[in-house]
Formats: sequence, structure tokens, C-alpha cells
Amino acid sequence: MTAGKAAGAGGGGMPRAIADYLGMLGVLLALIVFFSLTAPNFLTVRTFQTIANQAPDAIVIAVGMTFVLIIGGIDLSVGSVMALSGAVLGVGMAQWGWSLPTAAAVGLGVGLLCGAANGALTVRWPIPSFIVTLGMMEIARGAAYLTVSSQTQYVGSRIGVLADTRVLGLSLPFLIAIAVVVVGQAVLSGTTFGRHVLAIGANEEAARLSGLATGRSRLIVFAACGMLSGLASVILVSRMASADPNMGTGYELQAIAAVVIGGTSLMGGRGSVVKSFFGVLIIAVLGYGLAQMGAQDPTKRVVTGAVIVAAVIADYYRGRMRR
Amino acid sequence: MTKWMRRALGGVGLVAAMAMLMAGCGARDAGDADESATAGGGDKPQVALIMKSLANEFFKTMEEGARAHHAENAERYDLIAQGIKDELDVNRQVQLVEQMVARGVDAIVIAPADSKALVGVCAQAMAEGVTVVNIDNKLDAAVLEEQGVEIPFVGPDNRAGARLVGEELAKALAPGSEVAIIEGVPTAYNAQQRKAGFEDAMNAAGMKIVASQSARWEMSEAARIVPPILSAHPELKALLCANDSMALGAVAALREAGRLGDVLVVGYDNISAVQELIRDGQMLATADQHADQLAVYGIEYALEILETGAAPADRETPVDLVTAETMGS
Repeated sequence: MTAGKAAGAGGGGMPRAIADYLGMLGVLLALIVFFSLTAPNFLTVRTFQTIANQAPDAIVIAVGMTFVLIIGGIDLSVGSVMALSGAVLGVGMAQWGWSLPTAAAVGLGVGLLCGAANGALTVRWPIPSFIVTLGMMEIARGAAYLTVSSQTQYVGSRIGVLADTRVLGLSLPFLIAIAVVVVGQAVLSGTTFGRHVLAIGANEEAARLSGLATGRSRLIVFAACGMLSGLASVILVSRMASADPNMGTGYELQAIAAVVIGGTSLMGGRGSVVKSFFGVLIIAVLGYGLAQMGAQDPTKRVVTGAVIVAAVIADYYRGRMRR
Repeated sequence: MTKWMRRALGGVGLVAAMAMLMAGCGARDAGDADESATAGGGDKPQVALIMKSLANEFFKTMEEGARAHHAENAERYDLIAQGIKDELDVNRQVQLVEQMVARGVDAIVIAPADSKALVGVCAQAMAEGVTVVNIDNKLDAAVLEEQGVEIPFVGPDNRAGARLVGEELAKALAPGSEVAIIEGVPTAYNAQQRKAGFEDAMNAAGMKIVASQSARWEMSEAARIVPPILSAHPELKALLCANDSMALGAVAALREAGRLGDVLVVGYDNISAVQELIRDGQMLATADQHADQLAVYGIEYALEILETGAAPADRETPVDLVTAETMGS
């Protein structure tokens, strides 16, 4: 059964992958049609530009989370790691006079370190990643508050450059996010490392017995997820022109929801980066459309929650029809 | 078997290590508190300041203000300042009040995490002879009456403050302009008051409130909901944000949409990050509740009651309008 699971994800033929993508695209289109009919001025170029400019941070985090879930783990610390990277980045630029490239590199580095720590801890001791990353969630959040003395750090237009750069009407962060998705999917389905990740997620014990360096792969996956959280913080701080130590609260659950909507199994061994990307877009369009309809916060939460559950049930039936 | 035992032992070791770590932290906290409590003799009144999340800039500023006041008035009272981890962690705050009563403090100055749930434990504290003063978030009047207690509230009138900001905005708008309100957490009393204050000012000036949505006090959530409001209401002329974090998010969203300047933004709280925005005109105004003085007003009032035994009555603290003009002077 586990071997079949791994094969179903890794070696799936092109036609099936495309059929899967079309399924997600269908859901997205259905939402767009629905909001076009119900919300005033929804169907405009501006709407899609805005969503594309809003989504990059969530997209890159979802890519990292996809790998973590495929390997059978979970990373609850992404939002807090994002806040910590952002805090260091903001204070570095505003108070210590760092240049944007330096600050961005340090932001990524902070994320990478946190992620690597998560990975190393789960590899060295047999502790579930749920617990380790729960710890990191608290540590990184606390460290973020300490870094900015619990104050929102205003950075100003020096960092805004990144988000304000437009290529064909799309923001630079969105193009970076697309690149991350493409590379992520290529690594997952086209490299030996990707196959190892799928195999480990399907059955870690079997993968170890057949000689795979499971520990190393785990470490890399968590470190990459951390670094992508760092990237997300660079993107968000740049959009906001300020670093808020509260930023990224709840991002871990949003990312997990997007990835699961994309059909990645919480049990590991199965998943797709491109479908996670669609998952993020579905949540983003839903949020945008509901806000444009004037829905209040409680309504938004109820509807979003219902869509997540419905999408996962739909995915279950899609999976069954295949067998 | 041995493997299991080793694991079990490892687990015990880890738990023990964590317990020691926590004990260490606990001891240090207690040490801090004791230090200020025993600083200069035993007959000074002990005042416990119980706040909400110290992670929030507002409460952090409040705490720093209280500490500075205590440093200057160390001979008058001892201060024990405590906060909770999460603004919604009501249980932890109830426990803190109980702890402080058990510790034998003379007065408790509290910013309740919940305006109803904290009434019971505050009433118990008063029954034990502790003077209780309510700051920041007003305890629910109906629940207070039901429990038969009177707890004085010392704090700003959020509704009046928001009205002040709204009136300043109205001066810059043509009558009949479309405006939207970005609300805080809808269950919070101050969020409701600020929304009401904005509405008062907008209605009085004949503006049209076309949308009112919550961004839960958060910057990135505000940046997420402002664009859809803009496209639903292309004629929008102003965004009234119930705190400055959300105003920052609104400014970011307007900049992205190329509407900055054409849509005006006002906020509330006067956090340091918005001061530059107000100075260079990206934001029109905010309100300053003097967060650093809020706890001090509460402490001063508690000391006054302890000394004179005055009957508890509510006391209002100042809220000031902040604009580029007031900052210049």
C-alpha cells in the first residue's frame, strides 16, 4: 500500500497530473465565477493583480510546508520564524544601517537556521516534529518581540523597492514565488532527492533499511522550509515597509490548509507543489471575494473552514476513483 | 527492553531538565518581584499591576511607564508588574489575580483581558480587603452590578478619542464622501467604542460609511481586506482604522493600488512606527492615549484610595489628537 502511495505521487503519468491540475483550476474558476456574479467590480484585472501581489508570502511558505508534510512531518513554526526573520531584517535596516541585500540575506539566514534547528532536533532525538516545531514557534515568536522591543519597526521606502518593482504589472515577489513553485515541483518530481522525500514519507523505516540517508533528507526539508519562511518575511516586510513582531500569526495553519486543499497527505508520502500553489490561490480568492462582498470576519472564517473540509473530501473521492 | 528503559530514562531526564529550567525561570521571576517588594522596608503598600499581553507594544509601553514612575517614587510603594502571554488568555489572568491576593498585596491595578470574566475574581479580591482599580478595558457594568461590587475605572474614553480623529478627518473631506471603517477584534470593548466614535463623527459630518470590516487589529490582515473594499467602492475617500497597526497595513495596500493621497488614512494609538507616516502626509491623524501614563494614573488612584479611603469613582484620562501640525509644534 505504501509503495503504491509513493508511486501514485512520484511516478504519476503526465495526463493524470494535468487532470489533477485541471480539477484545482476548476475549483478556482468556480469561485471566480461565483464572486463575479455576487461581488461588485470583482471581475477586473486589478483584482487579479492585487491577489497576485498579496499571495507571494503564503505561496513560498506553502512550498516549504508541502515538502515537510510529504516527509510525514509538520512545521508549526513557520509564522513565528517569519516574524523573527522580519524583526532582524527590520531592525538591521532601520537601526543598524544594513543595505537591502545584506538585510535580505540575513533574513533568509535566520529562517534557515531556525529550520535547520527544527530538522536537527527531530533527527537527533526521536521527537515528533509537531512538538519540536511547537517549541520553535514559541522561541522564535519570543525572540522576535525581544529583537524589536515589542514595537512595530518602521523601515520605510528603502525596503519598499522590492515589492514596488513591477514586471508586466506583476510584482517582483510574485515572480519570485512562481520561480520557487517551479523549482520546488522540479525537485520533487524530477530529482533523486525528491524521490527520497516521497519514499521517506511513505515509509521511513523501509527507506532507511534500503539505505537512504533519511536523517539528511529530513534535515534538508526542514531547513528549506525555514529558509522559505525567511523569504516570506522579506516579501511581507517589503510590502508593509515595516516589521511587525505579530506578523505571520496563524500562517502555519493557513499554509497547512492550502497544502491539504492541494491534495498533499497529512500522513506523508504524497503531494504536489503546484497543487499547493493552487490551494493558496483558492484561499486568497476566497478571502478577497468575501471581503469584497462585505462579509464580516466570523462569516469569512466559517466559509473558509467549510471550503477547506469540502476540498479535502473532494480530494478523497478523486483518489478513490483512480484506484 | 533495555532500549525502552533507556528511552524512558532519557525521557525522565529531559522532563527533569525542563522542570529545572522552568524552576530557574520561576525563581528568577520571583526574585525580580521580591527585589522590588523588599527594596525599602515592609510598611509601604504593595501594588500589583496586571496587564494583558506584554508582547503588545501598547502594554509594553504601559509597563515601562509604570516602572519609570516606580523608580521615581520607590519610597511610596512597591510594584509587582505581571502580564499574560496572549491577550485572550483569560484563565491565566484570573490565576494571576488569585496569586497576588494570596501574596497579600494591598492594591491591584488591572487591565482585564475580558470585561466580564474577570469581574468575579476582582470581586473576591475586594472581599479580601484588596483595593482594585480597573484600567484600559472597562469591566462590564451589568456584571459588576449583578455581583454587587463597585470597581473604579481609570482610563481614556475610546469613543471620544475616535470621534476626535474622525472630526479631524471630516475637515479634509467633502460632505457626502464615501468612507470605510477598519475595525479591531469585534468582541473587544475598546474596538466597539472606537468604531462607535468613528461613526459618530462621520454621521455628524454627513459622510457615507459604505463598509465596516474587522482586520482583528493586524497589519497584514488590514492589507488583505483593504483592496477588495477599494474595488467594491471605487469612490472611497477615507479609511478609519481602529489602531495604527491596521493603518500601516492600509497605507501599504493603498500604495500598491496607487491610491495613496487620494484615499486618506487615520489610525489610533500613536505608535512610533506611524509618526513618520503622519509627518510626511501618508497618514492624516491618530490619537494618543498616553499609554505610558495609563498604568501610572491607575497606580496613583490606587495609592490615593489606600491613603484617604476615598469612595471609588471612575476617572477619565486624556486623549489627544496627533497630526502633522501637532507634531510640528
